[in-house]
Amino acid sequence: MAKVLEGPGMGLMKKWGIHVPNYVVVTSVDELTKLGQANDWMKTSKLVAKAHEALGSRFKLGLVKVGLDLNSAIAATREMLGRQVGSITVSQVIVSEMVPHKEEYYCAVKSTREGSEILVANCGGIEVESNWDRVKRLCLEVGQAPSAGQLEKLSKEAGFTGPLAKKMADFSGKMFTCFDTEDAQYLEVNPVVTRESDGELVALDAVTLLDGDAKFRHPDWNFQFAAEFGRSYSKDEVEVMAVDSKIKGSVKFIEIPGGDTAMLPAGGGASVYYSDAVVARGGKLANYAEYSGDPPDWAVEVLTEKVCSLPGIKNIIVGGAIANFTDVKKTFGGIINGFRKAKGDGKLKGVKIWVRRGGPREKEGLDAMRALKDEGFDINVFDRNTPLTDIVDKALQK
Amino acid sequence: MSILANKDTRVVIQGGAAGVNAARRMAEFCYLIKRPLTVEAFVYPPDAGKTNEVPYGSGLIAIPIYKTIADATKNHPAINTSLVYIGADRAMKGGMEALDDPNIKVVSMITEGVPEKDAKLLGAHARKLGKVFNGPSSIGIISAGACRLGVIGGAFDNLVLSKLYREGSFGVITKSGGLSNEIIWICSQFADGITTAIGIGGDAYPGTDYVSYLEMFENDPQTKAVVIVGEMGGDLEERAAEWYGAKKRRVKLIGVVSGFCQESLPKGMKFGHAGAKEGMKGEGSARSKSDALKKAGAVVPPTFGALGPVIKETYQELLKSGQVKEPVEPAVLPKLPKSVEEAMKADEVMVAPLIRTTISDDRGDEPCYDGYPASELINKGYEIPHVIGLLWDKRLISKQEAEIIKRIMMLSADHGPCVSGAYATILAACAGIGLSQAVAAGLIMIGPRFGGAVTDAGRWFKYAVDNKMNVDEFLAYMKKNVGPVPGIGHRVKSLRNPDKRVKELVGYVKSLHIKTPCLDFALAVEQVTAVKKDNLILNVDGTMAAVLVDLGFPVDSLNGFFILSRTIGLIGHWVDQKRQDSRLIRLFDYLVNYAAPKRREVPPLK
Repeated sequence: MAKVLEGPGMGLMKKWGIHVPNYVVVTSVDELTKLGQANDWMKTSKLVAKAHEALGSRFKLGLVKVGLDLNSAIAATREMLGRQVGSITVSQVIVSEMVPHKEEYYCAVKSTREGSEILVANCGGIEVESNWDRVKRLCLEVGQAPSAGQLEKLSKEAGFTGPLAKKMADFSGKMFTCFDTEDAQYLEVNPVVTRESDGELVALDAVTLLDGDAKFRHPDWNFQFAAEFGRSYSKDEVEVMAVDSKIKGSVKFIEIPGGDTAMLPAGGGASVYYSDAVVARGGKLANYAEYSGDPPDWAVEVLTEKVCSLPGIKNIIVGGAIANFTDVKKTFGGIINGFRKAKGDGKLKGVKIWVRRGGPREKEGLDAMRALKDEGFDINVFDRNTPLTDIVDKALQK
Repeated sequence: MSILANKDTRVVIQGGAAGVNAARRMAEFCYLIKRPLTVEAFVYPPDAGKTNEVPYGSGLIAIPIYKTIADATKNHPAINTSLVYIGADRAMKGGMEALDDPNIKVVSMITEGVPEKDAKLLGAHARKLGKVFNGPSSIGIISAGACRLGVIGGAFDNLVLSKLYREGSFGVITKSGGLSNEIIWICSQFADGITTAIGIGGDAYPGTDYVSYLEMFENDPQTKAVVIVGEMGGDLEERAAEWYGAKKRRVKLIGVVSGFCQESLPKGMKFGHAGAKEGMKGEGSARSKSDALKKAGAVVPPTFGALGPVIKETYQELLKSGQVKEPVEPAVLPKLPKSVEEAMKADEVMVAPLIRTTISDDRGDEPCYDGYPASELINKGYEIPHVIGLLWDKRLISKQEAEIIKRIMMLSADHGPCVSGAYATILAACAGIGLSQAVAAGLIMIGPRFGGAVTDAGRWFKYAVDNKMNVDEFLAYMKKNVGPVPGIGHRVKSLRNPDKRVKELVGYVKSLHIKTPCLDFALAVEQVTAVKKDNLILNVDGTMAAVLVDLGFPVDSLNGFFILSRTIGLIGHWVDQKRQDSRLIRLFDYLVNYAAPKRREVPPLK
């Protein structure tokens, strides 16, 4: 799942015929000033300026300003650009026209196991969240497109009447086309409003989640995906992602500040059980990590170095189930190199390492880990006869 | 009994290298359970018409590769299952092709990163046709003692340790590939092992969910209990719970769900599997899944580690109630033949080596020349002549010797475009021939008349010195037994027009005040021959030969110095012609003496 910021999200909707307000995304005050001279709407309409970053509660942070004229939009942009919120620096501002409206509505399309679901409500904004029962749904099988009749029925069920029912049906139909052709996983417009000037429905805000795996068939996706947890990726996270995109198999790394138990387990499935075990034991995770699919040793080495560089760690959990085809000796070779480098750099002081693993060449791999004891590592190595997460219990025993 | 994969399963694998690797793993399993190889065909258009070789025991089986699924099933009508090992961008097309084949009933897809929409379309298409689409991102399916689809089950040793050679009583369904193996292992240690284990893949919307497989296990009398390993995200576990709770089921259900840690992690954090993500409104959490399973009557251990004891307890109950009997293990199991390397490592075989080398070894992290690591030679200031010394004469030569060799090479690197070697290379270059062949064309010219007299010159000068001959004795011996003295004589140079290269080399070597018996002898020979005829001087081949013999190089290596040096020039000529984009050349008629008979009539054929 890949989150897309408002600007490119609205761009995709516009591509499929959904009315969106005029908008520009700028990275400097200069750019906005020039755009203001070039575009009439910026001189004549009231404007909204928002920090264009993956940030929650922008309103509270003062990163959304409404009802501006061009000069005050420029002033607001100057104020927002470069502001530091947590690990995010505001580097883009989206300035869009305010669309005068009275009523607000809601429309979304989401992925379901069977296919997708179109959601429509004749209330919008925060009102829809407290009136979730007013949201009406149309379930669609994968490969099936909604008929005009189905969409009109949905819009009437949601309480739209007269010409507006037809307009909402059209709007939701376009939302579905955008969702389906752009390999979206979630599209939400809240609010949808009626533009007073021409009576058309306009999307005022867009939440867009795309299927990152489908990027290969969308050459026009020229935008970056945004981090999904309210902060930007750290340097080490970005470096591991870069490695991940280059290799067969995978390596994953996400930092969790404040933790003291570092994770270096194998397998997308097992890694979560290891994390569960740490939490269940009252431990504090310093990161999430995972390597799988028989990745090259150098990739595991990079991951290991990042894990060893986490501040304030006391234990490293090198767990893993019995691998199908990941070569234990090879991947452990990468981990061992990473450990040696870290130790050479003065890291890993007082850190205990816990290993449990099985799979192809498990004996050689585990023996190599055991041999690290002789190099002065505080390491405890277990084989398949020790249940998967017991090393976490041993590590966190008080 | 088992589900999905059984003794009648015959397989086509769609894809290249990863598919061949899977076939190898599958062949190991077939060998373990003493059954013929289940893989009958590959579909991989780039290699259609060829075969893939798959080891089976100590032999190799050639499996044909076809362009289409239809070709494969037409030639192998027993095929009923396809494994998809095609890249994510083409996986859907391949999966659809397999599903649409009337012979194929089960399609399992290993491919990771398949777009969600494609996976849904494949799943829906399979359901419409009443077939099974398993995956994407599936590690495979294995039925103990019957059939393995994909690499599930791991290495051969693990197959044996996990008792996959015979049937047990537990069904296994997991999203995670690695954990499928772990559960299979646990079932074999805490109970009697598995019937069938299925990896359904960690994507958000796998083609077939727990419920479909639970239904199949329910109808398989051999399966007494099913272990499912779930994850946060989606609603597959809830649906499984719903199915289990809906009515009295014959199979016992044991379930465990991961993702409790999410309660104390930043929201929206991404885990290893695409499907492992929190719902929009908190649905799909590990806790809600776990609770749903418990409520439906499934056994849900608190942690993954507690699975073993729970499985053991279930097994003990089954034993007590007489539903299962203690399994009988086979007395002997086939052992996977070792590769020659493995057997040698274990001191089990001795192999007579095919070749023997005494100069170099690159089995470590870098080449060693006569035992010295190349990087160490570089870092301690050694140069190319020292490498020549090590590889040609197995000794570390001195700085002074290296300097002489360097000078010899510099003097013989090239001799203009007109000499046989350079001319041949240029001719080849102009004909568009590649570097190595064109240089080889030049090297082919090196022989008795061009550049190839160094070895022979060295041999006879050394013979004379070794046998303490004087010049007259030597010349007489040569005249009688050999012919003209190699290393003496030049086509254009003479006493009055001496070869500057010879003067340079002799002058330098002499200035070193080292013992040069061969060179001294060669110069003495020249004193005599040049008197007889002006151009019978010591030529560059002879000079090099005498010096190199004096340095102790073996006679047989001497031509090598000329070949090596001149290769520098030949490469230069080729590059030079290439850079100029030279055109094809041919001789002009006026450069040929046409001494053939005049044109005449061909007589009638008799």
